[in-house]
Amino acid sequence: MAELVIFLSFASIMLFSSLMVITRKNAVPAAVYLVITMLCAAALYALMGADFVATIQVLVYAGAIMVLFLFVIMLLNTESDIEHGFQIKGPDFVMIALTVLSFAITCIALMAGKGAVNAPMETMPVDGGNTLAVAKVLFVNYLWPFELASVLILMAIVASIVIAKRDNAGH
Amino acid sequence: MGIIDSLTAFQIQLITTLIKFVAILVLALQVPPLMVWFERRAPALFQRRKGPNRVGLFRFRLFGLLQSLADTVKLIFKEEVVPDAANKVFYHLAPVIAMFPALVVIMAVPFGNDFHIGDHLITMSAIRIDSGFLFILALSSIAVYGVAIAGWSSNNKYSLMGALRASAQMIAYEIPLGMSLIPMVLIYQTLDLNQMVLQQEQVWGIFKAPVSFVLFFICMFAETNRAPFDLAEGESELIAGFHTEYNSFKFSQFYLGEYVSMFTLSLICSCLFFGGWQIPFVSYQTLVNLTGYEFIASIIGTIVLLHKAAFFMWAFVWVRWTLPRFRYDQLMNVGWRFLMPVALVNVLITAGVLSFIRFGG
Repeated sequence: MAELVIFLSFASIMLFSSLMVITRKNAVPAAVYLVITMLCAAALYALMGADFVATIQVLVYAGAIMVLFLFVIMLLNTESDIEHGFQIKGPDFVMIALTVLSFAITCIALMAGKGAVNAPMETMPVDGGNTLAVAKVLFVNYLWPFELASVLILMAIVASIVIAKRDNAGH
Repeated sequence: MGIIDSLTAFQIQLITTLIKFVAILVLALQVPPLMVWFERRAPALFQRRKGPNRVGLFRFRLFGLLQSLADTVKLIFKEEVVPDAANKVFYHLAPVIAMFPALVVIMAVPFGNDFHIGDHLITMSAIRIDSGFLFILALSSIAVYGVAIAGWSSNNKYSLMGALRASAQMIAYEIPLGMSLIPMVLIYQTLDLNQMVLQQEQVWGIFKAPVSFVLFFICMFAETNRAPFDLAEGESELIAGFHTEYNSFKFSQFYLGEYVSMFTLSLICSCLFFGGWQIPFVSYQTLVNLTGYEFIASIIGTIVLLHKAAFFMWAFVWVRWTLPRFRYDQLMNVGWRFLMPVALVNVLITAGVLSFIRFGG
């Protein structure tokens, strides 16, 4: 019962702030609401007993990436507030329809496979905590995919530096 | 013991957690007034002045200790002026965001060893999760939003500059801070702060990872926006930086947040590098045998930890009044070009040496 109340309160805050993210005129409040959304996601992870994932969510997304976002937005944002606000044009209806469709599919999938969704929570090891559990999966079961993913990210970093350099040389 | 036996494990947990929350909150909120007084008194002594030494009770001056009380009364009763052009929601929210993480993070600090009441294990930190150490890092990285939002919502050039500086500085120093702590995790092989303290019974952490300590010590000042890293409020260039438009109690909330996070970082520094609640050369078991109760031994540990933290609080003030503020490009150079590579090499060497020791090369 208490768990349900906590879940519902965090989920509703999350819904509200996600709506605020996409409807704000100014980018800074949108970014702040996105931080709140991410913190609520972390709270939901914690509620499922995944302390480690929750902590990493706060540390990486809320604590590092969004600070960078906010910094860049504040640096560029001084007078470029969008005046028109939230407008829906022709092509946007396709996007909205697709979003609603994917949401419906997710809902149906969740309802159909209710048992399967709950399964990982019960298999969470109690001894050694879930830091150990995550480490075992990442560094034992999926070591090579994990390392390959880091190479992929490195490629993206190098690529972005190359693009930024080329722009500078052109001007 | 009759009452304790009649309670269930959950009830015991609930009651002790509530007691710990209140006790730690009260403890943490005692620090800022004391530090405000100290921060004015200590530099006065450095500079051969008297400092605030008058406000006392009747004929007793008490070294001017009641100055903080007078300051508090003044801050609360001052008129609150809100700028017309400010974004009201965020303007009022910012001081709360600045203060909140510091007060939550301190709950995860182990103030003493776990002890037993009857069959129940009571921890000396209000929040105990197995990745507690990461929890502290994660939540303390939220604090910058208070500064950033305050600067932006005030709708003032100088405030915005302060906010920009704060977020850039945060990104630059968060990474070396986290990396300086990776060797500690490698050495102790746990993320639980109390386990880390337990492993320092013989040798303090600073002797195992001195480079980590130096890096952590530098980043500690940057994380709390203290001199010589207080460019976010550099008054010679930005009036007062991010809190230019704040006054009365909202202004003091920023100060509360700053001092509590200083206190928390001092506690964490003591726990990681200086044996936490351990007394040098005296094991916990010896203390328990001497006093007869685990509870009393844990409380002695708390007192020891507070003394160690007090030293770092002193160091914060000492450094502030000794070193001048960095120039902004110097700050960025130190962060990215010096601290980052040193932290990376430190992780590499520690990991190499440890794997040589543990797996025999």
